[in-house]
Amino acid sequence: MKVSIVRKQLILFMAISLTLVSWTAQGASPSEEEDLALAYGDKSFISIASGSPQPIAKAPSVASVITAEDIAAIGAADLDEVLETVPGLHVARSPLGYNPIYTIRGIATQFNPQILMLVNGIPITGVYVGDRSQVWGGMPVENIARIEVIRGPGSALYGADAFSGVVNIITKTSVDIEGTQAGMRVGSFNTRDVWLQHGGSWGEFDVAAYLRVGATDGQRETINADALTGTPFTLAPGPVNLDRDAIDGRIDVERDNWRLRAGYQKRDNGGTGAGVASVLDPVGKNYGERISSDLTYHDANFAPDMDFTAQVSYLHIVEKSDLTLFPPGTDFSLLFLPGPVPPGLGPFPNGVIGNPYKWERHLRFNVSATYSGLQDHKMRFGVGTQNDDLYRIQDTNNYILIPTVAGFFPGPRPPLGSVVDVTNTGPFVRPHSRRVTYAYAQDEWSFLQDWYLTAGVRRDHYSDFGDTTNPRIALVWETAYNLTSKLLYGRAFRPPSFSELYNLPNPVLTGNPDLKPESIESAELAFVWQAARSLQANLNLFRYQMKDILRPDTSGIAQNSGRQNGRGVEIEMVWDASSSLRLSGNYAYQESIDETSNQDVGGSPQQHVYARADWRFTPGWFVNSQFNYVAERKREFGDPRTDGVPNYHTVDLTLRKQQRSSDWDIAFTLLNLFDADAREPSPSPGLIRDDLPLPGRAWRFELTREL
Amino acid sequence: MLAGGFGFITQVKVKLYLGGVLLICIALLATTTPVSAADGDVISVVFPDIKEPYRSIFEQIIEGIEDEVGKQVDSYPVRTDTNINELKDSLQHQNTKTLIALGRQGLAAATALDNTFKVVAGGVLTVPENESKQRPVISLTPDPELMFARMKLLQPSVKRVFVVFNPDNNGWLIRHAQIAAQDQELQLVKYMAHDLRTAITFYKKFFAEANGRHDALWLPQDHTTVEGSTVLPFVLREAWEKGIAVFSSNASHVRRGILFSFYPDNVALGRSLATLAQDNLRLGGDYNNSGIMPLRDVQSVVNQRTGKHLRIKSRRLRSFDTKLNE
Repeated sequence: MKVSIVRKQLILFMAISLTLVSWTAQGASPSEEEDLALAYGDKSFISIASGSPQPIAKAPSVASVITAEDIAAIGAADLDEVLETVPGLHVARSPLGYNPIYTIRGIATQFNPQILMLVNGIPITGVYVGDRSQVWGGMPVENIARIEVIRGPGSALYGADAFSGVVNIITKTSVDIEGTQAGMRVGSFNTRDVWLQHGGSWGEFDVAAYLRVGATDGQRETINADALTGTPFTLAPGPVNLDRDAIDGRIDVERDNWRLRAGYQKRDNGGTGAGVASVLDPVGKNYGERISSDLTYHDANFAPDMDFTAQVSYLHIVEKSDLTLFPPGTDFSLLFLPGPVPPGLGPFPNGVIGNPYKWERHLRFNVSATYSGLQDHKMRFGVGTQNDDLYRIQDTNNYILIPTVAGFFPGPRPPLGSVVDVTNTGPFVRPHSRRVTYAYAQDEWSFLQDWYLTAGVRRDHYSDFGDTTNPRIALVWETAYNLTSKLLYGRAFRPPSFSELYNLPNPVLTGNPDLKPESIESAELAFVWQAARSLQANLNLFRYQMKDILRPDTSGIAQNSGRQNGRGVEIEMVWDASSSLRLSGNYAYQESIDETSNQDVGGSPQQHVYARADWRFTPGWFVNSQFNYVAERKREFGDPRTDGVPNYHTVDLTLRKQQRSSDWDIAFTLLNLFDADAREPSPSPGLIRDDLPLPGRAWRFELTREL
Repeated sequence: MLAGGFGFITQVKVKLYLGGVLLICIALLATTTPVSAADGDVISVVFPDIKEPYRSIFEQIIEGIEDEVGKQVDSYPVRTDTNINELKDSLQHQNTKTLIALGRQGLAAATALDNTFKVVAGGVLTVPENESKQRPVISLTPDPELMFARMKLLQPSVKRVFVVFNPDNNGWLIRHAQIAAQDQELQLVKYMAHDLRTAITFYKKFFAEANGRHDALWLPQDHTTVEGSTVLPFVLREAWEKGIAVFSSNASHVRRGILFSFYPDNVALGRSLATLAQDNLRLGGDYNNSGIMPLRDVQSVVNQRTGKHLRIKSRRLRSFDTKLNE
């Protein structure tokens, strides 16, 4: 679209004008180049100037924007690497496939439903556990135009799960790609990816397309001890299993005010990580497929002073896990010898097998409008409805759980211990659906010069548990020409997931239909300070209170029983030390207390430091270095391990050649340069005794070419 | 059934054949260039042989030239060490009548060609006065008339525009500005300075006496009077605290808090250069066809935070092409 091309021209012009002014003064010949504003241009300017058709984070909040340029500069190949750089956000791991746990300000649990992930403003949340997916398998970054992360409660605009924060991934449109690009990447662990991107006009349509195919054997760090350690059946010590195949595709077609998008994501032969049952499972495989599509109508001048959007979207999720929960040869009756063996226990010559499959579909329809006709007011309204449908389940397994004095143990399923389809007789959960309707309103009122009060509220009606109302208030003071101060308050909710509501009885988590949503209230003070032309600093202080946290009670039934509070501070700085060197970084401190035990919640780092240097040592060549320090992670209450989780720090280095012509662009990255022994905590009670090891030193090489 | 099978295969073959013919037709249509109405003059372009990101700017200007001329034009990248005689031969071989010179290198090459061709120049900030009289040059600096008009649109009460400038660099521009100010019923108050120290004393004087309702400040593109690490922060702070509107010829200042600016629309500039080269006058792009002229093919950018601070109506702020700091 012409406007976006023109914005690109603006960026180009800024780079030129700074140089031309100095040429004029010095009379120097224009053979020297200074790649200023493009390489090191202010992030928020570039993201705004690149003209996303879906403006996000219009409400004042504490937000970070990461652009495609940042992603390329740090040599990231996956979303997790990018999110680790956000202040206050740390990516921990679950034993289950090493699924990422995005912990923000100390708020996270194993399935991590507390953070809302959006792609182009549309949630990708699955309804079974309320997370992004249990077969995640990573997300590639070549097709990402920018990522916006809002820390703190966001339900007043975004509804469910905008609890600890919101991550919105904006994919590239045709102007972001402009032409055809092919790329390939190889790296450690037999990782290989190849992709193609195209952006252009086909008649009256602007089209963007993306296709990526990749595979990896995954890192193979050793799990020293798992839940079966001490028994003769354990496979530990043994390597973690993180292989997978991946396909990602996306198409984005735009014409006038209409946009049609479709996305496809497949993860196959996915390894189980450290095992679903915290038992190494080298045989088990995960399959996941996500199909999404949306049709959006957007008119910035729908009526005088009114911007209007209408959207219908569809998301289909399939997850199939073929698991060998306990390895072949497992026989729990042996653990009771020489005493009496509880009836029902016996050998599993093929291992304990469980194959949960689920199918979900989500259909959403919403309209929203922004009205700026009243002087000093900027209003937003929206209504929407969605249907979340876990419409099919398949469950086959070869075991039943035998209660003993020492707890539940799997015994061979009568009569023969073979794998039986229990979909209709006793699956882990039955199909369910829920409908949600919501409405929100927000006004930004400039009641005095330089003072803005934003007040908003959203009400959601859930067909299963009822209603929830979530307000937010923000007071923004444009304090000086280079300082903005904000005071924010908000409330958010996390609805009970289908597993918490409807799971059939089992010792781990049994559903309870009488649940209400978890709730969080948070207050924050934030400062944005342009200290000098080359130095920008942000400071945030926050406090929060969570209640009605959903946890299984002693019988495994989900209850709204927990309370947690926390506070902390985040500091961020960006310094353009010279025209070719930028130093940036952040420090986050948080303290979160579980009010049941009055102890640290555990798991999340109390301190997290991230630092980065970007150096253009000669035109077209860049070096980037990152330092990440994760420290002071306590154990969860009830975890018998007396030592805390060891601190770690890693250093990454990327060398990149990047020129905006038909040349090849290349990048070479060394991850965990000093081979640090970095680990993420395994959950209580420490069935994976030595925590989850992250990869040691690894390398990656990337080649892209404009065709 | 066999006959039906053959029938099906024949149908598929026919469809493939027709499809192939259709594709070839489309390909031919796409690559055929329309014959231009003004086919007489051959126009060629010389531009600086430099790397990205600057190269894209000149490529976009050339795109605009080709758009206007209606066909591809020959473009020659030039450097300080380019062989001028070889260049002259190539241009003459192509029957070049008019040369569009882009950038300083392009203009230097055109000057070295010594009146062999008619020359129209663009994509430079400024040129020495003696060079510019001979040929039309479109500068990269935005036309003050457009800036004054926009200032009056945002704040109709403004009566005076102040500017600190170095006559060695911007004498020609200020002469244009004087006429533009009169047309807009504004008084242009000029301070001449040859170095930053003098410039700063004038800025201090301005802010000490300025009134936000009636006075506005204009920052031209001039390294000796506007500079990023002392002058600009001083101007930004004073402008904010005293509520004075400041606009700049340098669009990168807007990101730092200056109220608004303009930046080149490269493709439109290309079209204007082509028009100049073809000796036509166009409505809306009225370059007066001699000497150095400021740029009218521009896009606008505004800093909304600054605009709201100055209590400018949001409807007026929305009229800009690019809006920063929403």
